[in-house]
Amino acid sequence: MKKDNSTRREESGVPLKTGQEVMIGNFAIARGLVEAGLDLAAAYPGTPSSEILPGIIEFNRREKGSIHAEWSTNEKCALEVAFGAALAGKKAACMMKQVGLNVAFPSLLKGRHKAIQGGLVVISCDDPGPQSSQTEQDTRLLASLFNIPVFDPASPKEAGDTAYYALQYSYDHKTPVIIRPTHRVSHAREMIDFFSPGLRKVTLNEGVKSGKGRKLGIVASGMSYALARDVISELALEDAISLYKVLRVFPLERGVIEFAAGCDRVLVLEETDAVLEALIDGGERVFGRRSGHVPGQGELTYDVVRGIVQQVTAEMGIKAEVFTPDPAIEEAMKGVNVLPRPPKLCAGCPHRASFFAMACAYPDAVFPGDIGCYTLGIAMGAVDTCLDMGAGVTLASGFYDTFKQDGDLVPILASVGDSTFFHACLPPLYDAVQKQKQFILVIMDNGTTAMTGMQPTPQTGITADGSPASSIMIEDIVKGFGIEFVRIIDPYDIPLMIATTKEAYDYLRKEGKGPAVIITRRECILTAKGRDVAPWDMGRLEEDCIGCKACVKAFDCPGLMFDEERRKIRIDQGVCVKCGMCYFACPTSAEGKSLRKFRDKRSREKG
Amino acid sequence: MRLEIVCAGIGGRGVLLASTILIEVAAEAGYRAVASDEYGMSQRGGSVVSLVKVGDFESPLIGREKADILLSFEESEFYRNLAFLKRGGTALVNTGRKALDGPVADLLKDRGVPYYLVDADGIAVEKGMMQASNMALIGFFSRLGVTPYTAENMESMIKRRVKAKLVEKNLEVFRAGYGYEKG
Repeated sequence: MKKDNSTRREESGVPLKTGQEVMIGNFAIARGLVEAGLDLAAAYPGTPSSEILPGIIEFNRREKGSIHAEWSTNEKCALEVAFGAALAGKKAACMMKQVGLNVAFPSLLKGRHKAIQGGLVVISCDDPGPQSSQTEQDTRLLASLFNIPVFDPASPKEAGDTAYYALQYSYDHKTPVIIRPTHRVSHAREMIDFFSPGLRKVTLNEGVKSGKGRKLGIVASGMSYALARDVISELALEDAISLYKVLRVFPLERGVIEFAAGCDRVLVLEETDAVLEALIDGGERVFGRRSGHVPGQGELTYDVVRGIVQQVTAEMGIKAEVFTPDPAIEEAMKGVNVLPRPPKLCAGCPHRASFFAMACAYPDAVFPGDIGCYTLGIAMGAVDTCLDMGAGVTLASGFYDTFKQDGDLVPILASVGDSTFFHACLPPLYDAVQKQKQFILVIMDNGTTAMTGMQPTPQTGITADGSPASSIMIEDIVKGFGIEFVRIIDPYDIPLMIATTKEAYDYLRKEGKGPAVIITRRECILTAKGRDVAPWDMGRLEEDCIGCKACVKAFDCPGLMFDEERRKIRIDQGVCVKCGMCYFACPTSAEGKSLRKFRDKRSREKG
Repeated sequence: MRLEIVCAGIGGRGVLLASTILIEVAAEAGYRAVASDEYGMSQRGGSVVSLVKVGDFESPLIGREKADILLSFEESEFYRNLAFLKRGGTALVNTGRKALDGPVADLLKDRGVPYYLVDADGIAVEKGMMQASNMALIGFFSRLGVTPYTAENMESMIKRRVKAKLVEKNLEVFRAGYGYEKG
């Protein structure tokens, strides 16, 4: 994007540039939207999109504007609220992660044909890798399939300019527009210039960026373009390769097609699917995903792009500087014991206590899981599935029907978080209640959307900007469905949680109906910051340790380290919050022994 | 001018604050600077890598054996990210050790990598502020003469980016890091 960077003053005396700040791409997008005259914003949090709405609230505050901004219960709600505003002539935006777009897709699909009176920008952030999603998904593919204009910015700065441009573009063309930043754009940081609302000058930065020859051309968009540029520079290929930058992936400028047609061979670099590749349709001349030169999945990192460019130039006999990794590095590392750091629930996380109790009550149960921090329960053997939002409940239903068909009732312990419960679990729960599916649903209520950065849920009782709102209690909903077995317990009471889980399963068997719901309610340890945790004396755990590692295995807490030299557990004082729950995972402690009665009972049942 | 810096550490220990200071000092000095952060799914305690690129670059990502400087805020993360470091690059490691193991020390020597073992945790603990070991490490870094990271530039950015009530303490640790002598 070419932009007037000067600080000269307009005739009115208003300075063009009003300031600058280092910020992430998502805040740059927020800034662009606010400067473009946004009226309404709605979003459901999801990495890597979650910071855009808070950014809008922040810049609206600084500009003393009157933008309405809200966290919606899910992406469909967000899109439809924004769509309603756009229909009525306002400039609106909604934000979500790539898999969230699926939830909003029905309304987007129909909505693209409805001539909006205002403007509507949908920002759907993609997650190549994926780094924090259940799957990769290319928003550009969906947009181009259904004729929705889509932009793929290459940097935070360009993302901000694109947001500004896209809202105007939507307003002028009366069509919804999608911006698709990848996580590397959303979360990269750089200096962003501020302008007074309405005074930014933006033109699309597209076209040939380097090279004159037409032997090998690269067409790239988004972060892949930025990487291609750096790799070409590293390998000193500026003269040998021509590089074409695409920002608006659909509808594609004629220039791209002409550039591709004018090159002997074309390499297409893009994340995460073959979208530009399909639109260019260059057949055998194209190096890309179809030819196998670009990996079909995973992020295009610097090393991946460098590898692809090296391979393609080698195949074409183009001279380039060659990078060869030094194997001596790995060789020297062989003797070094680097501690693995798999993702874990936080020390003191109430979910960990719930999962521990669930696995303790019925270790052989089926554990349908859901999407959130608590997906990490997989490491504790208390989450078996991770499909999409709400699937914890629907899969539990499916499993129940399957077992029932085979005449076998087994414990099914589904788990879902509070935000996900509101987002996607109500329709699945109607079905489960009406059809009397016999499973236990544990709703892990920590009062917030922790995974994505503590956004409020409909129960939290505050709005996106922190002002008070009404609160809808989960138990009221569940009871309203007619579910009879509803218990609300503190997950830190592990014996009670185990006993309640067993009571719930007995209820399912005895009454022949279901589901049974246990709401485990305790504030997220990150928002609670130690409040409401009665600190335990952790000394016994270390002193009485017999080195069996049961707590490390069953409790999976980042505060527990095993000291191989001393053959004893060691507590990381910097991490431990003294919740004391790990005592229940210690078979020699009084707390651990107190759980034996539950275990004994089960083995009698089995015997 | 081109400079690629890898900041590596674990969650909750100020890696992102350190990289914020690096990128803002560069931007303040008039360079284009970009950063990219990776912090996985874990809120705290997991690996954190922040890549900072200063000068004529398009992307915020760093390739294998490309980084000029590796700032390791935790020793294990030094090993995990060593492959980023180019021949002739510079490594700083927060560690209480006096020497690296033979094979690693030999590797660094072969690759022409000067390295500095800085007991940043020790410095921070001595100053009564364990969480500020990041300041000790960038304090030491600022005396290596890497443009634009002078102690003066760094201190002025610390004053702007650290919470007001913690500025003095952070500067104290930063200065102790600057003056750190081994042994």
